[in-house]
Amino acid sequence: MKFAPFVAAAIAATLALSASPSQAQQYPTKEIQGVIQWGAGGSTDTVMRAVSPKAEDVLDQSIVLQNITGGVGAIALNKVASGKADGYTLLMGAENPLLYKVMGLGTKDYSDFVPIDILARGTGILVARPDAPFDDYKSMIAYVKAHPDEVKFGSTGPGGLPSVVTAMIESVEGKLPVTFVPYDGDGSALTALQSKAIDVMPAVLGAAIEGIKAGKMKPLAIIAKEPADQLPQVKPITDANQKFAKFLPWGPFFGIFAPKGTPKEAVAKLQDAFKQAANADSFKTLMKNRGFTLMNINGDEAQDFMTKWQQNTTWLLQDAGLTKASPETFGIPKP
Amino acid sequence: MATLAAFFTVFTHPELFALVALGTFAGVYVGAIPGLSVTMAVSILISFTFSWDVMPAIALMIGIYMGGVYGGSRTAILLNIPGAPAAIATAIDGYPMAKRGQAGEAIGITTTMSFFGGFVGIIVLAVAAPFVSNFALTFQPRDYMLLAVLGLLLVGSLAGESLVKGIFCGALGLMLGTVGMDPLTFTQRFTFDLPLLQSGISFIAVMIGLFGVSEALSQLHHIDKTPVRQAISRIVPSFATIRKHLPLSLQTSALGVLIGALPGTGGDIAALMAYDHAKRVTRNPERAFGDGAIEGLVAPETANNAAVGGAFIPMMTLGIPGDAVTAIMIGALFIHGLNPGPMLMVEKPDMFWFIVGGLVLANFCMLLFGLTGIKLFVKIVEMPRAVLVPLIMLLSIVGAYAVNNSITDVYWMLGFGVFGYFLKLYGYPLGPIILGVILSRLLDDNWRRAIISERGSLPDFFLGLVSSPLSLTLFLAVLFIFFSQTPPWKRWRGRREALRAKADPARPAAATGSEGGR
Repeated sequence: MKFAPFVAAAIAATLALSASPSQAQQYPTKEIQGVIQWGAGGSTDTVMRAVSPKAEDVLDQSIVLQNITGGVGAIALNKVASGKADGYTLLMGAENPLLYKVMGLGTKDYSDFVPIDILARGTGILVARPDAPFDDYKSMIAYVKAHPDEVKFGSTGPGGLPSVVTAMIESVEGKLPVTFVPYDGDGSALTALQSKAIDVMPAVLGAAIEGIKAGKMKPLAIIAKEPADQLPQVKPITDANQKFAKFLPWGPFFGIFAPKGTPKEAVAKLQDAFKQAANADSFKTLMKNRGFTLMNINGDEAQDFMTKWQQNTTWLLQDAGLTKASPETFGIPKP
Repeated sequence: MATLAAFFTVFTHPELFALVALGTFAGVYVGAIPGLSVTMAVSILISFTFSWDVMPAIALMIGIYMGGVYGGSRTAILLNIPGAPAAIATAIDGYPMAKRGQAGEAIGITTTMSFFGGFVGIIVLAVAAPFVSNFALTFQPRDYMLLAVLGLLLVGSLAGESLVKGIFCGALGLMLGTVGMDPLTFTQRFTFDLPLLQSGISFIAVMIGLFGVSEALSQLHHIDKTPVRQAISRIVPSFATIRKHLPLSLQTSALGVLIGALPGTGGDIAALMAYDHAKRVTRNPERAFGDGAIEGLVAPETANNAAVGGAFIPMMTLGIPGDAVTAIMIGALFIHGLNPGPMLMVEKPDMFWFIVGGLVLANFCMLLFGLTGIKLFVKIVEMPRAVLVPLIMLLSIVGAYAVNNSITDVYWMLGFGVFGYFLKLYGYPLGPIILGVILSRLLDDNWRRAIISERGSLPDFFLGLVSSPLSLTLFLAVLFIFFSQTPPWKRWRGRREALRAKADPARPAAATGSEGGR
């Protein structure tokens, strides 16, 4: 009907902007598909849509982004992994796949991929509603222990940031007698925090910054070894208990991946393009504003980062009793 | 003064003006195609407008949003396929009008009422945003659950002749909504270990199948009948008509703003609730509901466009999205270097007034684009069925595929299409299925949150229910709506009316109590 010319025009305009004639038969010769694991408007989506235009300029090809959601991102991952490894389909994802195996969500993870770029890492923060009867991490723990099952923690299902942060706390402090109220994302959980439906929420820093600045949430501790630039007044959790140091730094991350077997030239070109794109000032500012730490790493460095991340996190979840299968089954050694 | 300048930014800058207009125009068509959603269009625009300044980018998005919410009614009226879930209620009375040759009139009413609703939403956003967002924040999981129960009672309105069949379909919808990975615990429900079912059944695919394909199949029964000629003399509704429906449209607009402002509920639920409200308060519709009642168009269309303004309320005041589209706009603001959150209105009030101005302009553009081109559009219904039926099928397939770029959704859509055809044939209403799917998550998630928050104690849950004024009001509303439709209550009402009529013979007794089964 009427929309066909409109869409065609939009596509033509996108192509016209980015596709000047490329050199003879060198990768990339056609547009690249970017499959985003999470829905439109989420943080993964925002990050990928922000980094892609610059990479398009470098590659001199357009990158067509689509969101394929579901199965905690496993649907998108399986789709890309089972597609052609020719460098024309990329997976744009977050940290979750490293937990698929132990959580029983799938048999594939990032070990079936080559990292193109791990763009940035988030930092956790523990926030409470402004009128909560405690003001920092220590007094929260004391209050929780004195009032068993009374304090309501927000959670987002096993494997999410809240479950990992909670597992860290329980590994250090022993079992926490709190009530976990499940939400489908940290956005809706932080909304619930502001409407006092829950008392404490382990969230990603970026999602909480504005609320904290406006006094709508009370920061208890940053889940890191040093204070964050964006909120210098909030104490790191290691100030309260040094035992946290062995898990840190920890945080969810965003990365771009190509299926294993992608030609070396293509991987090298993509790595270069996304490295430049993530180095752009506008991207750096966006990451800072949203409370993410820029990483921009690839190759062995990225691989090492992921290996370490997977070891730490899967064993934390295993010890907290949240996994479906032991990391040992998949040859993930205890850190 | 600065406020006024910010408000008029879109009107004084030709390029912004043009972008809002262009966005609205595109939005009307994107919204009209089932499966092409505003959410999708706006998220594509994020990459597309990445290198632009923030104002043109937002201007274009506002236009698409406003136009898109309205556009869903087009195909609902002309083809009985709602372009978006928010237009489901519009199809119930809009399509019968088109079948009678009044498509032009139906679109005219829809357009003016969308404009009206849109305005109420914008006014509330402009004058009472902080107040409304604070109120929206008082909603606890318990209250969302009650809202969902209230929504479920709409089955009565949507059931048509047989309440039992309506309840069956509503229950089926609720069950369909639970299929897939539970987003709260990541437990698989009704997936039978099939990867295909892990992400659940796309409810847009269900909607397109049930309405689009089943409609195409039913049309085959009348393949050789000539289509109804459409009268296009009356497009803009008369002032008298608008004035007659003013009280109803004000009520349903207010409902739309509130439901739109609640994070987690949006235009789809608002439109259905408004439809139900209209059915309850309209004593003597010119035509019965479901058979082309004007009120059945007025209510959902005012409500879903009022929900647009409503959705901006938590976004602008708290940085909390009111629906999926505003969630993406928050991302867009981030990309363009703004920090949406409670401080945005304090630090950048101009942005707020710029958005309000953009919405006002988009609303006017919607009215303009909505009322022009109707003559061309109603020709669709006049097409021979041999052309129309394949067109509906094509539209349905493209739409279902476009939602997630997934061929599985197309299979689901076709399956539900055939299923829907047989349901229709045996008099099962389709509306309650969609209602069930829409409300399933709201009900399920919030019931679990509410009872978990009370540590699984049912007595504590009921104590909470009666001790919070908001919960109590909602609870009483549920009870009242339920019991007011039971036979004993109706008999009592009837007796009271009869008594009153005896005492005051001037007042006719027939006017009340005969509103028909919910």
